[in-house]
Amino acid sequence: MAMDRREFVKAGALVGAGLAASAAVVVRDRVSSPARDPSGPRTVRHLTVLHSVPPRRDEDVLLRMQRDLARAMSRPAEQRKWVMIIDRRKCVGCHACTIGCVAENKLPPGVVYRPVVTEERGEFPNVHLSFIPRPCMQCEKPPCVPVCPVKATWRRPDGVTVIDYDRCIGCRYCLTACPYGARTSDFGLYYTDDAAAGADGKSVSGPHAPWEDMPSHEYGKNWNRASHGSPMGNARKCHFCLHRLEAGQLPMCVTTCIGRATYFGDAADPAALVTHLLAAHVVHTLLPHKGTRPRVFYIT
Amino acid sequence: MSSTGDTAIDSGHARTTADRLRLTLWILWATCLVLGIVGLAQRVVQGHLPAGYGSYVPWGLWVAIYFHGVGIAGGAFLLGAGAFVLGLEGFDRPASLRTVIVLAMAAILPAFTGVWLDLGRMERAPYIFMSPAFTSMMAFNAWMYGAFVIIAAACWVLSCRQRSGWLRPLLCLAILFSVLFPSQSGAFFGVIEAKGLWHSALLPMLFLTSAITAGAAVLLVIMALPGVTDESPERRAAAVSLLRRITLIGLIVYFVFEFAEFSITLWNPDVHAPAIELILWGPYWWVFWIVHLLLGGAVPLVLLLVRRQTAWTIAALLVAITFISARLNVLVPGQAVGEIQGLQEAFQHERLRYIYHATLMEYLVGLFLLAFGVAVFFVGQRISASVGRRTQHEG
Repeated sequence: MAMDRREFVKAGALVGAGLAASAAVVVRDRVSSPARDPSGPRTVRHLTVLHSVPPRRDEDVLLRMQRDLARAMSRPAEQRKWVMIIDRRKCVGCHACTIGCVAENKLPPGVVYRPVVTEERGEFPNVHLSFIPRPCMQCEKPPCVPVCPVKATWRRPDGVTVIDYDRCIGCRYCLTACPYGARTSDFGLYYTDDAAAGADGKSVSGPHAPWEDMPSHEYGKNWNRASHGSPMGNARKCHFCLHRLEAGQLPMCVTTCIGRATYFGDAADPAALVTHLLAAHVVHTLLPHKGTRPRVFYIT
Repeated sequence: MSSTGDTAIDSGHARTTADRLRLTLWILWATCLVLGIVGLAQRVVQGHLPAGYGSYVPWGLWVAIYFHGVGIAGGAFLLGAGAFVLGLEGFDRPASLRTVIVLAMAAILPAFTGVWLDLGRMERAPYIFMSPAFTSMMAFNAWMYGAFVIIAAACWVLSCRQRSGWLRPLLCLAILFSVLFPSQSGAFFGVIEAKGLWHSALLPMLFLTSAITAGAAVLLVIMALPGVTDESPERRAAAVSLLRRITLIGLIVYFVFEFAEFSITLWNPDVHAPAIELILWGPYWWVFWIVHLLLGGAVPLVLLLVRRQTAWTIAALLVAITFISARLNVLVPGQAVGEIQGLQEAFQHERLRYIYHATLMEYLVGLFLLAFGVAVFFVGQRISASVGRRTQHEG
C-alpha cells in the first residue's frame, strides 16, 4: 500500500528534521567552545628557582632554560607558547631522554612518550647514523583532538595538547589520527608480571612488584594503576611534563639529555633561549605536508 | 505418479532431513556460544592482555566485526524497509517488515557489543551520549546508530497495529539513517588524514555499497530458507529474486569501486603504496585473493547468474560471510603502515609494532558475537511471529 499525502508530509518533516538536527550538531561543535583550562592570574606561578644564583654568560644552557621557565611561569598561561627544539647534530642516540621520561611518568610496558628513531644513510663504509627523538609534536592543528568522541583531549592555551584520564573511554581513535604515532594506549601491562617466584613457589611481591603501583603525577594528580584505575585503558602521550613545569622544573627529557641537545622554553618570550635558537637556525618539523604545524622543531 | 504411501514417505523423509538440519544448526550455535563464553570470560578477567592489537595497530578483529555488523544492519534495513514502503511483493506485509527489523537488530547489537568490548574503559561508554563531540565521526555514528535502533524499535511496535499513520514516515527516517550510518562508517576512516589508505573520498561509497550488498545477501538467505519467515513459497521466491539482482549489482559495483581505487594508486609503475602492497602481497595476501576476490566475488557472481535458487542462496551465504574480509583489508593495512620510518625499532615492545595477528581470545569473542546475533534473530522472530498470530490483521 503506497503512502498517502499525509504520510508523505510526515515523512518529509521527519527526514528534514533529522537532517537539520545532524547539521546543527556538527556546526555547534565547530564553533569555539568555552576554554576548559584556567587562565589569567590563577595560572601565574612565582617560582624562586635559581633566585640565589646570579646568572653568568657561560652558564649551562639548562640553567638558562630554567630561568626562562621561571619567567614564563610568572605570566598567565595564555601568554606562554611552549616549544621544544631538538638539535640533531648533538643527539648521540643514547635514549636517556626515553628512559628518563619512562621513569618520570611511570610509563608501563607498551607505553612510550619519546622514542628515539635511528636514521641510517649510505652504504658501508660510508654509513651515517643520525637520531630523531620524537616526543608529541604539540601541534597547533592537532588531528588527534577533533576525533575524540567525548572531548577528553584538547589543546591548552599554552600549546600543550592534554588528555583527561578521567574522561577518556579508550577507543583509540586518537591513536590512529596522529601521523607521528605519538599516542600510545595503556593496556594494563606490568614489568614484573610473571616475575620469578621465591624458593617456596610464591611470588615475593604478589602479582607484580610494589613499586609498579606507585602513582604517577601527570597533570598534577596522583594516578594509581593498582586499582585498575586510569590511566589504565586510556590513551597517553607526552605533555611536556606539565607537572614539572608547575614546580619550576624543565621536562625530564631536557634535563636528562647528556648532549644538551633538547631545548625547551617559551617562544613568546623575546629573551628566551628557544626564541634565539629559532631565529638563528634553519629549523624543520616532521611531516610538514600534514599541515599539523608542530611546536617541536629540529636543527640538522 | 507416486502413490499416497510414497508421498507420505517422501514428506516424512523431508521432515527427518529438516530435523537433522535443525539439530545440526543448534549444535553449531551451542558450540559457538560455549567457545564464545570462554573468550568473553578471558576478556573480562584479563582485560586486553590476551589481545593482539597494540598502539600502532589499535584496532583489529572486533572492530572489523563491528563495521560488518552495522553494514549488514544498514543494508538489510534499507532494502527491506524500502521495499515495504514501495509495496514490493515479498516485503509488503508487516510480518516481513518485522523480520527485516529483527535482522537489523541481530546484526547491530552484536556489533555494538564487539566495539564495547574493544574499549579501554568500557564503563565510560555512556560518555559518548552524555558529552559527545560531534567533530568526531565516532560520536556522530554512535548517535545515529542509537537513533536508528530507537526508531526501528518504534516501527516494529507500530507494525503490530492496524494501519498506523506514523509507520511509513518513521520508516523513511530510519531508511535515511540506514543510508547514512554505513556511509559514515567509511567516513569514519576517510577523515583520518594520517592514514593514506583511509583518506579517500571513495571510502564512504565503498562502505555503503558493501553494506547494501552484504545486507541484501543476508536478507536473501533469510528469505530463501524455509521456516524462517511466515511467507508463502511464492512470496519468498519473489523476494529472493529481487534480492538476487541487488546482490549481483552490488557485487559488480563494489568491485568496480575497488578496482578504481587500486588501479589509480598503482598506475605509476614506480609508485610506492605500502598499504595496497600489504593487501595484495603481504602475509595475509590470501585474505584478499582467495577469501575476498574468489569466494566473495568470482564464485558468488557465477552462482548468482545460474538459474537456481539453491545456487543463489549459497552465493549469498558466501558474500555475507566473506565480506568481513573487505572490512579487514581496509582496517588493518590502513593502520599497519606508519609515517615515521623506524618508529617500530626505536622502542621495541610487542604492543608497539606495525603487525597485527588476531589472537585465540579475539576469535572466541567473535564466535560469541555470532552466537549472540543468531540468538537475537531467533528470539526476535519468535516474538514477531507470536505477535503476528495474535494481531492477525495481515491480508
